[in-house]
Amino acid sequence: MDLTITRQNLHQGLAAVSASIPTKTTLPVLSNILIDAQEGGVWMTGTDLDVAVRIRVPAEVTVSGTLTAPGKKLQEIARELPDQPVKILARGDQLELRCGRSVFKLNGLPSEDFPSLPQIRFEEGWTVTGKHLQRLIHHTSFAVSTEESRPILNGVLWELRDGRMRMVATNGHRLARMAVPAGGTTATSADFIVPPAALQQVQRLFKTDDTLDVARDGNHLGFKASGTEVFTRLIEGTFPNYEQVIPKDNDKMAIVQKASLEAAVRRMAIVASDQTHRVRLLFGKNTVHLSVLTPDLGEGEDELELHYEGDELEIGFNANYLLEVLRYIPTDEVKLTFKAPERATIVEPVTTGDEDLDYLCLVMPLRLLD
Amino acid sequence: MSRRIQILPDSVVNQIAAGEVVERPASVVKELVENALDAGATVVRVQVDGGGKGRIRVSDDGGGMGRQDALLCLDRHATSKIAEAADLARVASFGFRGEALSSIAAVSRLTLETREADAEAGTSLRAEGGRIVSVQDFSRRAGTTVEVRNLFFNAPARRKFLRSEAAETRAVSEVLVALALANPRVATSLSSKDRTLLDLPPAEDVATRVAQIWGEEEALSLLPVAGEEKDLSLRGLIQRPDAARPGFRRAYLFVNGRPFRSPAILRATDRGYRTTTSAGQRPWVFLYFGVRGPAVDVNVHPAKLEVRFRDQALVEALVERGVQEALSLPASSATLDSHPAPARMAVREPGGGEGGPPAPRRDRPPGPAAAAEDSQMALFMPGAPEAAGREEGEEGGDEAAVPMGVADTGRPRLWQVHDTYILAETRDGLLIIDQHAAHERILFQRLMTAFREGGQSGQRLLFPVTLRLPPAELAQISELRGLLARAGFEVEEFGGDTVILQSVPAPHPYFDAERCFREMIRELTEGSPLVRSANNQYERIAMTFACKGAVKAGQRLSRDEISELFDSLFATDLPYHDVHGRPTIVRLSKAELERKFGRH
Ligand SMILES: Nc1ncnc2c1ncn2[C@@H]1O[C@H](COP(=O)(O)OP(=O)(O)OP(=O)(O)O)[C@@H](O)[C@H]1O
Ligand SMILES: [Mg+2]
Repeated sequence: MDLTITRQNLHQGLAAVSASIPTKTTLPVLSNILIDAQEGGVWMTGTDLDVAVRIRVPAEVTVSGTLTAPGKKLQEIARELPDQPVKILARGDQLELRCGRSVFKLNGLPSEDFPSLPQIRFEEGWTVTGKHLQRLIHHTSFAVSTEESRPILNGVLWELRDGRMRMVATNGHRLARMAVPAGGTTATSADFIVPPAALQQVQRLFKTDDTLDVARDGNHLGFKASGTEVFTRLIEGTFPNYEQVIPKDNDKMAIVQKASLEAAVRRMAIVASDQTHRVRLLFGKNTVHLSVLTPDLGEGEDELELHYEGDELEIGFNANYLLEVLRYIPTDEVKLTFKAPERATIVEPVTTGDEDLDYLCLVMPLRLLD
Repeated sequence: MSRRIQILPDSVVNQIAAGEVVERPASVVKELVENALDAGATVVRVQVDGGGKGRIRVSDDGGGMGRQDALLCLDRHATSKIAEAADLARVASFGFRGEALSSIAAVSRLTLETREADAEAGTSLRAEGGRIVSVQDFSRRAGTTVEVRNLFFNAPARRKFLRSEAAETRAVSEVLVALALANPRVATSLSSKDRTLLDLPPAEDVATRVAQIWGEEEALSLLPVAGEEKDLSLRGLIQRPDAARPGFRRAYLFVNGRPFRSPAILRATDRGYRTTTSAGQRPWVFLYFGVRGPAVDVNVHPAKLEVRFRDQALVEALVERGVQEALSLPASSATLDSHPAPARMAVREPGGGEGGPPAPRRDRPPGPAAAAEDSQMALFMPGAPEAAGREEGEEGGDEAAVPMGVADTGRPRLWQVHDTYILAETRDGLLIIDQHAAHERILFQRLMTAFREGGQSGQRLLFPVTLRLPPAELAQISELRGLLARAGFEVEEFGGDTVILQSVPAPHPYFDAERCFREMIRELTEGSPLVRSANNQYERIAMTFACKGAVKAGQRLSRDEISELFDSLFATDLPYHDVHGRPTIVRLSKAELERKFGRH
């Protein structure tokens, strides 16, 4: 292997892949990145076995070849080098790097030791726009579960249908669902449960104006656009039937300024219990009365004006769940609908004009005891 | 050489709890040693042959008796310790009945040798069945020796009730241990034939005496308790929960230096230990009460084995609270130190004396208010345990293990290791916190507090959990339904063997509600040491919930979660103990690290 690359290109490529390198690993080769020099460019790959990132940067390759080298060290070196062409050579399993008068020799490992990436045939998959994908990820992935007994809920459900795609995430206490139109989809419909770590890489590495190819091979999924690829293991299993738990008969509706509700809940949360973060909301005609009472600490009360016409309703929430959902609602006004104090509350954006926003969050209440 | 002993008038005698004084060799030893202590002895030697059935010999270096007193002391109701009925209410000596020597003499062959310090000659007299058969001048150093041979030689029926030599020797030893604990500064020894069973040099404090009797390790497992309430003070040593073992329990109670028995006070101790020990663990306790004035009546049991407090509830409350408070202090936590600071406090003489042997108690006018505060209590002076180290500037004061800055500026530096332990830097070393045990304590206290306020609210579930359970567990659930709901578990019976969980508590982000619930119900149904250690249904639920619901070992925690765990732990009443009788925290002092690294 013998190549010359600009410092910027080298650094950019390393920065992209090194974020997928695990910080602690029992498999030494995983702290390395795979460098694969081909005609006209270098592919760099990093993986933690769950998610892999592969990126191509332009380089002048005189002798092609592959090699692995310590990812973090290479990245640090690339950051400190002067802005001059960098020459990279393979000497056995050692990588030699020259830039101006700087010379480094880094011990690598044979590239055969590096885990092989899934063979994904992107031409048989789907195409999606970066903008849509980013929006879905942003508005749903926050809701995944952190608890590990139901791995399904540790992932985001991604449904690809003809003309539409949607993502859903839930931890069983609250849920977020968003759909967008999907132009140019070719393959048949499919459901994936994607680990949020992979979606984070997708968010980080692809731009909104990218057009991505997405394809599956067995239990792996690949994303690809303009010289950048992300591969991930999929979570296996069936996502719970979320449609069934979205209430159809919530007949009490409140419409409120998102910012003022958020502010009031945040104030209440200060005095809420560390454990349940419980706030009480009492909806009456065009007002909501908020209160918290925490033994050993104290209490707080607040009141807001809003639009509410239904019967009086008192309901308790984990303030954090409410705040989180409100944070992702992209409109100034938000609509909450209820059936009863023990039933799911729907939180939705209130769109003005004809902008089409298919976004819905559910928050399950806390049981009020008294 | 004046006469001190008087024969009590009938009017006084009639007010003294009457009954059998001498039952077995151990009761003889008890009476004789108490007399020696009343006489201000600094050395008491006890020898027994044949478990005391053949011979008992008690000698002391106390004040001794003059000839007249020696002749009188074997008479019934002959005492120098009280004079009138009113003295009974404020008696500070062990003796007050004038009964012991006469009762012993009546059933044995007794030799008394005694000399007062300033007398020219001593007296030796022999008695058989209570009758004096000879009196002689006798030369010896100041003090008294009483030898009792052929106990019950003239009462064969009572002799028949005596147990084996080994059993009687054990009983003698028990009696002596109790008195030795009450008087650590008195050198005390016991030999049986030619074997030394106890040899206790004068000890500066109770912990040292415990170490002399049972070994250093046991003494180091003790921590101080202290409390004050009206005319009542409590000082003592109790065992750290992590050192408590099942089986035989060492429990000693003293009031104004007098050993007594009280199952009710021991139960109060156990209440104080509440959730820090598991069922069957029996922590050692040594409690010393100081009582002023008439708040205690020692004249209720013929052998003075029991006492009556005027306000028993107050005593029990004092004990329960004292134990609780002791267990809330850092000293109650487990430690890795090879030389932990012992739970002792320097002996100080009442009234700021130089720390010599206690003034002889003999003939001190009975009953001044200060009597209760005499040298017994001085063993635990000065004041409360936390204050002691600081005032005295003693090295290794345990309060140094208080986490750095918890009281003042935020919290110490924290690290999680092995995804299981949290290390906290303290002013004086290091705390190693078990994250699961710590979280157990937090969840337990939170749920118990919530129960008092009505309950802990449950998070309703989008996807209710359906469980199929065996009949016994279903029965348990329907019995506990209301309480489970107040713990946050809202259970719906679905019919057949199926129940549905509609809401669950959410104590932390890694909480597996289904597993927690299943394990809780199984344990509640099948029972366990934990379940048995609970005092009521609330505790049973809160303990099992804490145990099954707490963050597990192996769970990586975020910075914020680590800090929150730490803060919440120190917001509980018993941060050093989990609910199984295990430590939540193990201390490692800087001093120990320095020792290990050879820094000094
Ligand atoms: N070892 C001793 N040294 C000095 N005086 C003693 C000793 N033993 C007994 N006496 C004297 O003999 C008296 C009688 O002793 P005895 O034990 O019979 O009665 P007591 O101690 O006064 O009351 P009690 O029956 O409650 O023990 C004591 O009051 C004390 O004056
Ligand atoms: Mg006596």
